[in-house]
Order: sequence, then structure tokens, then C-alpha cells
Amino acid sequence: MTSSVIGHLILKDWRLNRRLISLCIGVGLIALVIAQYGGQVVRLLGSVWFFVSLCILGSMLPASAILNERKKQTLAFVMSLPVSSVQYAIAKALSTSAMFVVPWLTLVISALVFIETGRSIPHGTIPMLLIVAMLPLVAFCLISAAALVGESEGWLMATSILCNSSYWLVWYLLARIASLAANWTRPVAVWNSTALTILSVELGLIASIVGLALFLQSRKRDFI
Amino acid sequence: MNDLATDLAFELSGVCKKYRYFTLEDIHLKLPRGQIMGLIGANGAGKSTTIRVLMGLVHQDSGEVRVLGHRMPAEQVAAKWDIGFASEDMRLYDSLTLDWPMGFMRSIYPNWDGAYAQILLKRFGLRAEQKMKGFSHGQRVKASLLLVLARKPQLLVLDEPTTGLDPVARHEILRELTGVMAEEGRSILFSSHNTQDVEQISDQITFIDRGRIIDSMDKETYLDRWRRLRLEVPLGTELPPLPGIVGVERQGRLAVATSNDFVPDLTHAYENTGARVQSIENMTLEEIFVANVEHSREEVEA
Repeated sequence: MTSSVIGHLILKDWRLNRRLISLCIGVGLIALVIAQYGGQVVRLLGSVWFFVSLCILGSMLPASAILNERKKQTLAFVMSLPVSSVQYAIAKALSTSAMFVVPWLTLVISALVFIETGRSIPHGTIPMLLIVAMLPLVAFCLISAAALVGESEGWLMATSILCNSSYWLVWYLLARIASLAANWTRPVAVWNSTALTILSVELGLIASIVGLALFLQSRKRDFI
Repeated sequence: MNDLATDLAFELSGVCKKYRYFTLEDIHLKLPRGQIMGLIGANGAGKSTTIRVLMGLVHQDSGEVRVLGHRMPAEQVAAKWDIGFASEDMRLYDSLTLDWPMGFMRSIYPNWDGAYAQILLKRFGLRAEQKMKGFSHGQRVKASLLLVLARKPQLLVLDEPTTGLDPVARHEILRELTGVMAEEGRSILFSSHNTQDVEQISDQITFIDRGRIIDSMDKETYLDRWRRLRLEVPLGTELPPLPGIVGVERQGRLAVATSNDFVPDLTHAYENTGARVQSIENMTLEEIFVANVEHSREEVEA
């Protein structure tokens, strides 16, 4: 019966955040279309907007789904339901992750489809696209963990600022890796060890952040 | 042990919870099933912390908590199926209509009584199709209570449900709570700093102050035991400390003695000192509470 309560909590979060999710998918898809059909400058703007829509979702979703529960004083209502704090954290982690991953996957798959079917963007950009698209996913996990464990707007804002201001630096550093940059313009995707290592590091970071957040949550003694 | 295997709605034994600037100290409290307990305390006395420990929302540092036979916080999930909790500061989702949490609760709790929920909607003057961001404070409290009552829980735990409400809304809520007790075995713990509300519906009354339970007994016993004696004392005569007297205020020849365990012999004891007992007055629950708190603080400070 408790798993059904967790399911209801997940559905509740989807209902409350569906507008934000739809908006980000819409903006991301429009950006992709612009990147596909515009000139060089417009294409650059479209690509930036595509990633910005993912970054914005990664920052706003934890605030809306996790922190607002405390800020808007609805946490007492949720915690009065037959769930423990760890089950609540699991429900939050599942719902918030799904709410990010669904639009993230939609946009990334759409981008891959655009690259595959279009002629203007070389297939060599695919590894870089995935590496760069994973960054908002890592940032989202970090911001969500800070919101869940830190329980304060301060923690959320600090993590959010740190993540959002780091994208440019990471993009710059990635662009300077010769074994990645050399393959961008190729007509086929090149999955060399550098690309695979970076993707593995990103996945490892996500697993560590989620694991640490659930561990810290399970050690809490006060929830309201 | 399940909820049917115990006659107690809840029991707290030796519960302590320490914060930086506040400590809940050695709380012992129990409520038999089928009764209403009013928890009275000033702001910051520890009412909400006690209730949160009871609900498993705050873990006690030491001591044992059992609710409907379940150990808390370890068995909070099992216990919460039969506990209805609402607090004065609890909010629902502003962007949604009241319909939504009603459907949400119906989908979770098999005991949800849809017909009763509709009756409560009418009694409380609420509209299910109205967005909750337009609700007044009173409507919010009533909506929270509706969601709790229509679940038909065995134990209702209400943290200051009548605070900030107008007299009509308070009356509506207290009437509904009294109606809950028509069903056998259901119990209510409700906190307030409004002694009138508590006096109106409670069987048991507990006073809490500065994190300590200072008194807990049934309402009639409080009202029977506590008396105020107005005395006329000859100048130069000192009133001796007498058992059952918790405070004496004196101005010239007039003195007021407060007793927490009044027996007729007290009158004779004062008369033997030369004092004349002008009147013996019953005390209201509010007066009893204030006298109790003052006495408790004097004892702690001494």
C-alpha cells in the first residue's frame, strides 16, 4: 500500500509541474528547429537556446518540486500521509528525476533525429552533443540533492549559481580537448576513449550525488 | 502489537528532544481510546514539538512513543494510516482546486467517506471547485480538517486548529470534533492556547510550559481541585505555607490564596491563623492554567 502512496506522490508532482515541463520542451524544440534551418548565427543562437532550456529546467524543477513543498508549507500535509521520510525522499527523487529526464530525453532524442535526418549538422557532433547535454543532468542532480538535503533556499540558490556559472567554463574546457574537437566536423560520429571516459565520469557523478543525497536524507531526525 | 491490542490511543514515556534553544524534557503522557485531550501551552511551550514527535515527524533523542500500538518513529507508516493530522500552518496546493486533494485522499485511503466529505463541504461553506489560493485562513483550516475527518481515522492529531479563527468558524470546528466522538474508539489530541476551546470539548487536559508537562488530568478534577480563597488577614499576621496552596498574593489586609488541591480543612487552617475567609471561588480553566504555569516557573526558578 505504501508503494501506491509513493506513486500518488509522484503523480501529484507531475500535475503540479506539468506547465514548466511543457514550456521547456516547447522552447527546446523551437530552438532545435531554429538551429536546423537558420543561418550560421541563428544556428548558434538556436543551439545555445537548446542548452539554456535544459539548464533552466535543471535549476527551476528542484525549486518548484522540492523546495516549494517546504516554502509553501505543504510538507506537513505530505508527511501526514503514510510515508516515512526516506520514502518521501525516494518519491521526490523519482518524480523530480522523471520530470527532468522525460523532457531531457525528448530534446536530446529530437536533436539526434535532427542531426541524423538533416544535412546541415555533421554527425561528428553527436558525441559532443551527448557530453554537453549530460552537463545539465549532472547539475540538475546536484541542485536537487542540495534542495532535498539542505532544505533551504540558500543552499538551492548557491548550488544553482555555482552550476549555471560553470557551464561556460566546462564548455570551454571541453572545446580545448583536441581528441574531441578534431572529430566535430567529420561526417560520422567518432566514439573514442576520451568521449567515452567523459561520459562515464558524468554518469559516475550522477550516481554518487543521488546515493549521497539518499544516505544523508536517511540520517535526518527532523523533517518539518 | 496492533491498534486493537491496546486501550491507549498514544503513550509517550520519558521523551526528550533537545534543540539549541529549547528542550522538551521527560514527557510522560497518555490518552485512553475514546477520549479527547486538550494540550494547552503558551506560544513556544512545546505543543507543536510534542505533536511532531508523536507523529514521527521529529525523532525523539530518548524515550518511547507509541501511537495506536505502533512504536514511533520506527512504525510511523503503519500508524499514519489511522492518524489524521492537521495543523494551523498546514497549507494545501494553492494552484489547485479543493477537488484535487479530496480525490487525492480518496485514492489513498480506503476509508474515505465521499458522502461525509460532501456533507462537510456544505457545513463548512466550502466550494470544491474553488482554487485554494483564494481561501481565507478559516477556509484553509476547514479544508484541512475536511480532508482529515472524511478519512475516518482512529486518532485525530490537531495542532492549534482553532487559532486565528472567528467565533463562528471555531464553533463549527469544535462541533464537528465533538461529532467525531460519537463513533466508538476514536480519539483526539488537540493543542491550543485558547483554554475556552479546550474546556468546551476535552476530557483530559494537559498543561505544558517551557518544554515540560506541568499537569495532566481530567477536566472535572481540575475544576474540582482548584479554588481561589479571598482572605482578610489582620495586619502583622503572616500566613503560613499550607499544603495545597500554590500561591498567595497579599495587599495590606487582603490576601488571595490559590489552591490546587482544595479541601474544606484549608478554610479552618486559615481561620486558625486569625484570618477570615471572605469567599471561596471556583476558577476558570484559563485561571487554573495561568496559576499552574506561574507556580511551575516559581518552582523551577527556586
